Amino acid sequence: MQLMPEAVLVVTALVLLGMAVAYESKTLKPFPVNSAIGIATVGILLAIAALWCPPLKLNGDSSLIASDGLARLFKGLVLGLGLLAICIPPARREIPQIGEYYALMLFALTGLLLAAGTNHLLFLFVALELASLSLYLLAGFPRTAKASEASLKYFLFGGVSAAFMLFGMSFLYGFAHTAKLTEIATALAVGPPSALAIAGLLMVLVGLAFKMAAAPFHYWAPDVYQGAPATTVALVSAASKAVGMVVLVRLLLIGFHSAGGSASWGGMLPGWTIWLAILSAVSILFGNLLALAQTSMRRLLAYSAVANTGYLLVALAANGRDAAGSALFYVIVYGLATLGALAVTAAVERDRGNDSISSFAGLVKRSPFQAVSLLVFLTSLAGIPPLAGFFGKFAMFSTAMAATASGEKSGLAWLVGLGAIMSAVSLYYYLSVLKQAYVKDAAEDSVSSSAPCLPVFHALSVAIPAVLLVLLGLFPSILLAPISKAVIDSLGL
Amino acid sequence: MTPAWTILTAFAGALLVLLLPARSAAFSRVVALVASIAGALVAAVACLERLNHPDAPVWDLNLPWVPDLGINFHLAANGLSLTLLLLTGIVAIAGVLFSWNVSHRPRAFFAWFLTIIGGVYGVFLSRDAFLLFVCYEVVILPKYMLIAIWGSTNKEYGAMKLTMYSIGASALILIGIVVAYAAAGGKSFDLDYLAHATYAPSLQFWAFPILFLGFAVLAGMWPFHTWAPTGHVAAPTAASMLLAGVVMKLGAYGAMCVAMPLFPQGFMEWRMVIAGLAVVGIIYGALTALTQKDLKFVIGYSSVSHMGFILLGLAAANQWGLRGAALQMISHGIIAGLLFGIAGRVVYERTHTRDLTALQAFDLWKTLPGAAVAFTLATAASMGLPGFSGFVAEISVVIGLWNVYPWLTIPVAIGIIITGAFSLRAMIRAFFPERKSTDAPAEKMPPLTRPEISAIALLLVVSLAIGIYPKPWVVLIDDGLRSPLFQSILSLP
Repeated sequence: MQLMPEAVLVVTALVLLGMAVAYESKTLKPFPVNSAIGIATVGILLAIAALWCPPLKLNGDSSLIASDGLARLFKGLVLGLGLLAICIPPARREIPQIGEYYALMLFALTGLLLAAGTNHLLFLFVALELASLSLYLLAGFPRTAKASEASLKYFLFGGVSAAFMLFGMSFLYGFAHTAKLTEIATALAVGPPSALAIAGLLMVLVGLAFKMAAAPFHYWAPDVYQGAPATTVALVSAASKAVGMVVLVRLLLIGFHSAGGSASWGGMLPGWTIWLAILSAVSILFGNLLALAQTSMRRLLAYSAVANTGYLLVALAANGRDAAGSALFYVIVYGLATLGALAVTAAVERDRGNDSISSFAGLVKRSPFQAVSLLVFLTSLAGIPPLAGFFGKFAMFSTAMAATASGEKSGLAWLVGLGAIMSAVSLYYYLSVLKQAYVKDAAEDSVSSSAPCLPVFHALSVAIPAVLLVLLGLFPSILLAPISKAVIDSLGL
Repeated sequence: MTPAWTILTAFAGALLVLLLPARSAAFSRVVALVASIAGALVAAVACLERLNHPDAPVWDLNLPWVPDLGINFHLAANGLSLTLLLLTGIVAIAGVLFSWNVSHRPRAFFAWFLTIIGGVYGVFLSRDAFLLFVCYEVVILPKYMLIAIWGSTNKEYGAMKLTMYSIGASALILIGIVVAYAAAGGKSFDLDYLAHATYAPSLQFWAFPILFLGFAVLAGMWPFHTWAPTGHVAAPTAASMLLAGVVMKLGAYGAMCVAMPLFPQGFMEWRMVIAGLAVVGIIYGALTALTQKDLKFVIGYSSVSHMGFILLGLAAANQWGLRGAALQMISHGIIAGLLFGIAGRVVYERTHTRDLTALQAFDLWKTLPGAAVAFTLATAASMGLPGFSGFVAEISVVIGLWNVYPWLTIPVAIGIIITGAFSLRAMIRAFFPERKSTDAPAEKMPPLTRPEISAIALLLVVSLAIGIYPKPWVVLIDDGLRSPLFQSILSLP
């Protein structure tokens, strides 16, 4: 029963929709948020439990719905991230139609799960569009100009990128006469990669770069991060990025492993790694430099997302199994940190009314819990030990460098150097937020001296990522070992 | 008694301080003192054991940590590590005693303080490049917090500058370590393994300066020293003591035990440059100290000058040079701690100025004779008078240098003369001003408190002990130099 988790999610979404409609038409009051969160939580927990359903033995080819290690592990992890995202409650009266909102969250998650478990290009496209269309809507739920702008921009950019991706996939089909990644790999193994295949791959990469918010395809990100509800942003930044990584790993390492070429400085060979390396370098530079100038916490997190996509692409450009494993580790760790930071931001917005960095002033006095958690999230993003973000970056950089040396011909020393230096720069803007929270005092005394207590759900969405980041930082093998195993199982390089 | 207890006591102390209830916050200094004394005692006992059983195998703890990347939790304690542990313990005790009167958020203060101590212990004990780097980076954030929250003059600027220098240098170290890991086959981060791998000379030529510079920035190598004076001046007394006393030693230790053993051939290529920069640092630091108006700036620049001797000993790279460098690490750790303690705590807390001209009005020789005597002795130690630790260390470095670059001893001698000049100038201006009989008599000052006296006595006794009877320290350091790490360096021509 490969699709059990997805089925559970869809059924839960439909139940939620039905209950909300029934409740609202009967009482003429909006559906209570906590019930919606509760139902969605139960649905996701059931879906996680359903992951243990034994897979059916399918006759013949299983590329359409793969039930390999990577699919199972990442379906679980993405569901976990989605659960944490759902736990961040929307601001008061931010979202008028609660039932629809949470049902769409579950639909988006369904699409993400399907995308994480397929080796078939066409199925991948359908799954990604299911997720994306839900996310466009989820961004625009609040009836504010900013949310509408965010949703529209997201939709327009997303539409163009989807067109690119589909066009590229048609090239790939024209080249290999199949949409299965394993068979594309066989077709590539015959001779040198044809221009048709590389052109098709590049167009697919453009589409995925948009979804991952890699520069220069990131223009939607700051507006969406700022205008959309925190819950949506958490899903976009954590769960959707994790799935994007899985898709990229499958596409590049199963389908196009042999067409990598080399991005070595001075020894470039045609292939996709050089393009990925350029994309990575541009994202790292753009994301970090623009983040330096931000005054809004959400926009800062958006540019930090761009920069972090850049780091992930460093490891991916190494075109190796270990590097892919470390990138998959980092994307989860990054997702936890960003999700937690968004949850704290949502709490501060609720308390102070906006997300400017200066509204974090004096947070340590108002709420030590939020301040300490924020410290964990931001230092993890900045890559300070003993937090998991540090280990993730370290693992990505060392495996990418090792792939250079062990003859896998990618030659990424220059990119690793750039990543390490710019990662140091990133500490500046993360510290400027922490400076507000720990060093500065709140500007006006009229503000109440302590922040109101967070609802339980919300507190959990802050506390769980913080604990996990510390735990994974001290004992990275808890997550890294299963990921390595799953990568070996799925890629078999 | 395993030396690992040093690390544990420090971090356990930090945790314990944080867990104290708010109303017994003042008790945190007692916890910090007990933790520091416990750490110092563990180090002292380990040193004595090593002295009594010099032929026993080196204590070694090697546990698998992240097997996927070849990372081990590998600690080892040879004589060199043990002496530096003892130094850290002593400076930590003195630091707590000098911050006995911290009343602003004392729990957070001592927690960050002990975190630095724990990280420093960790670096000195690590035998795995990853673990060493983790401990090295753990120190960064507490440094920022201590300076930005509890500092004085221009504290946010000084804190941020110091942090950005540290993290930038860490990025270089990361690149260097990762390059070595990749070039050695991508199997292990163990320092012994990395030091015994063979690296191509062309790789060593560019990788050595990156790794060495990363460490040397923290060691205050000219022209990358500018973080040190501003940081020291902005920091609260205990943090200045830690920064100058032990954190700068981390850089020197890393350069000595990581950069040089990994890339000995690269070191040979750059040795002349290092020696040159070290000499420039000695003279530049001394000359700049000669013109400073702020007592703490005088000490800050004198640190740059004294750290130059360590780098010079490393550049000499023979038995005398390395031994002198290690002795200078210990000696300067003690003396800088003492000078910063007197200037930043004893004098500043009573006069609220560190300006050399303004201090004349206080006639400190009459009103605060204890501090004047202590400062005089500390100045004598800092100038390198026989009988104090500085003399032993500097004479060893100069002997080592004479065997390699005899002509460089001339500028070094000039540097030593200028050191005498600026030390005497600062001492006389601050404590023994010329006063006319018509001047109004200065106000009475509160006498030295008991914690102050204890801290001053502790540091002075240690400095005198090393100066009068250096043998045990030299025996321990030579024991460390027999480690396989240094054989490739000591066998250099």
